[in-house]
Amino acid sequence: MSPAAATNLGYTPPDGGWGWAVVFASFISIGFSYAFPKSLTIYFKEIQEYFSVSYSQIAWVSSVMLASMYAGGPVSSILVNRYGSRPVVMVGGVMVSAAMVLASFGTTIVHLYLCIGVIGGLGLAFNLQPALTIIGTYFQVKRPLANGLAMAGSPVLLFTLAPLNQFLFDSFGWRGSFLILGSIVLNCCVAGSLMRPVNKHAPKTAPSKCNGAATEEAAAAEASAPSDNLLTEENQKESKGQSCVQRFIDPTLFRHRGFLIYLIGNVVMFFGFFAPVVFLAPYAKHLGIDEYSAAFLLSIFALVDMFVRPATGLIGNTKWIRPRIQYFFSFAVSYNGVCHLLCPLASGYWGLVAYAVFFGVAFGMVCALLFEVLMDLVGAHRFSSAVGLVTIIECAPVLLGPPMSGALVDIFGEYKYLYYACGVLMLVPGIFFFIMNYYNYKKLDEEQRQREAVDMRTCEEAVQLKMSQDDKTAHETDG
Amino acid sequence: MKLLWAVSALLLCCWRADASTAPNIITDPVEVINQTTAILSCNLTESSLPIKGSQWLHNGKVIESSKSTDSAPFTVLRLDKITYSSSGQYECVFLTEPEVKQTIEVKTLPHVAAYKHSEHGNEKDKGVMVCVSHGYPLPTDWTWFKEEDGASTPIINGTSDKYEIKSTPNKTILTINDLSIENDIGDYMCSGTNELGTASDKIHLRVRSRLAALWPFLGIVAEVIILVTIIFIYEKRRKPDEVNDDDDSGSAPLKSNSNANHKDKNVRQRNSN
Repeated sequence: MSPAAATNLGYTPPDGGWGWAVVFASFISIGFSYAFPKSLTIYFKEIQEYFSVSYSQIAWVSSVMLASMYAGGPVSSILVNRYGSRPVVMVGGVMVSAAMVLASFGTTIVHLYLCIGVIGGLGLAFNLQPALTIIGTYFQVKRPLANGLAMAGSPVLLFTLAPLNQFLFDSFGWRGSFLILGSIVLNCCVAGSLMRPVNKHAPKTAPSKCNGAATEEAAAAEASAPSDNLLTEENQKESKGQSCVQRFIDPTLFRHRGFLIYLIGNVVMFFGFFAPVVFLAPYAKHLGIDEYSAAFLLSIFALVDMFVRPATGLIGNTKWIRPRIQYFFSFAVSYNGVCHLLCPLASGYWGLVAYAVFFGVAFGMVCALLFEVLMDLVGAHRFSSAVGLVTIIECAPVLLGPPMSGALVDIFGEYKYLYYACGVLMLVPGIFFFIMNYYNYKKLDEEQRQREAVDMRTCEEAVQLKMSQDDKTAHETDG
Repeated sequence: MKLLWAVSALLLCCWRADASTAPNIITDPVEVINQTTAILSCNLTESSLPIKGSQWLHNGKVIESSKSTDSAPFTVLRLDKITYSSSGQYECVFLTEPEVKQTIEVKTLPHVAAYKHSEHGNEKDKGVMVCVSHGYPLPTDWTWFKEEDGASTPIINGTSDKYEIKSTPNKTILTINDLSIENDIGDYMCSGTNELGTASDKIHLRVRSRLAALWPFLGIVAEVIILVTIIFIYEKRRKPDEVNDDDDSGSAPLKSNSNANHKDKNVRQRNSN
């Protein structure tokens, strides 16, 4: 296990049992959060004609929804810290459902902005954060696998929602479809009801700190008792200091080395993360490939993504990768960058198919590990605050990335500069992650060694104290 | 007087000289009307200017395969299969200083196509049907018909609030307001007429009841409520069991669960015996 702040949870996560039901629930919640805004774009053309607005005005619905979802992160984190995951997810599900139902009665485009954009986006934020947080509370040893499986919800639901939306649209028109989608999204409440708060009273099976102190179990228990008391006192002090702040959000995260590394790298990375996905089909059409084959490229990409995410989770769980999972993440980000830099060399349809496959692998790897490494760095305690802060800060690059890339294409008239730019924007953070994580791991190892030295000293003192007490009582009984 | 005669004679000579040296292109045929194949030819006469080459343009765009650097005053373009997409204005251009060109018009019947052959509308809402046309020349007249019991009744714009027709040469839009399920379901025909003839296409209109989407919605909401209730009831039933387990494992501080507790006890007893 990584030496990062992982073991001060105060209880042993189940790592199985009901945890897998929670993974399924997170799968659904995360899937809806990411796939729902993308799948709504199918209705845009019809709505655009109905309300007689321009394409950019209708595209705002999607942008407002995404912005709401990311900006609602901190609000979501505060609520999760306060009330736990389950109520927040259920409220989120009801919010998105109400938003869609209201939108189906909308008479102007502003109605759609407010209903789908603001309320819907906020509801999705209330789904995303708690789903990620609760995995950290249920899993410790198998956490990368659980994260990978849960994040696979996004491509699977996108794959399902896209044709379903088309079918609904053909049968019921956009108003009827919004009404029915409102009821489908209500299934997030079912997912929320599965997110039972984890049982924190299961006793610690962590080995006692003083391993070589005594041979008898009783002696070991007593010898470890003073050191345990010392630890619980420390925990109490920490928890008192943190409890006031953690009720809302944890600003001390900004002094956390790992968190800062993650934040800086991610902000740069997200500028170039989504743009290649958005422009894959237009690039293919630009090269002369017909519309259906271009759309098929996206399907290949989504299919590869679907399988790579759990696979990455599985690989991340192995005993070789898990302790140094930050390097695995850095590798995934750099691999993304290399993929994009090599894309302009792909010629013809089969070249693009190969690119779609490699890009699918890269994208899936990064997505599967994205929140796992954050959990690994800050620990499950502070994860909900961390993810809230990260999403609101990432809001800007996520929203600005595709339009900026689009501007690049417009200025140069060629797509290869877009891919070079995205490649660089991912390779640089990748290398940054490698270097900074090497430094971070060194520092964490040092701190771990210092802590162990302190523990050994306190254990020895406690054992000596115990032995001198025993001697005293023995002398007293003798004498 | 003599000066006036001299000047007029000079002007007449110049004019005649201009007329005699003005380049003239003879086209064959002058116009192509409703033919499946054609051979367009241009013959440049009465020109002493050097010809650097020739090319053909279709609706203003150069046909790459027709570019030639041949200095012959004669150029030919073959049209093997004339459809609505190959109709339009063809220009033969001789690359002289200055360029000279002549236009040959290739006309076909209009090609009328519906955007979608099956349209949907909601009850009491409006239904929109669109037909577009391609080709040359574009229709000058558009008419809409409603097919009822085998007969086509024309829909006339402006007679009632129900029907609105907006037409441009290449597109026509029929909007039906306040759709009703009894009256408005059926086939509608759009027909476009140009100087050569008429073409038409058919659209089927379906009207959905207002409550059509309500039943699936209620069904799924019911399913969600049932599932949530089942999950909560299952959890309430399990909770008392879990609390008992906690007490058991709490009493033996170093054992992780009650099963292991019993096993160890048995082991100890056997060992002591």
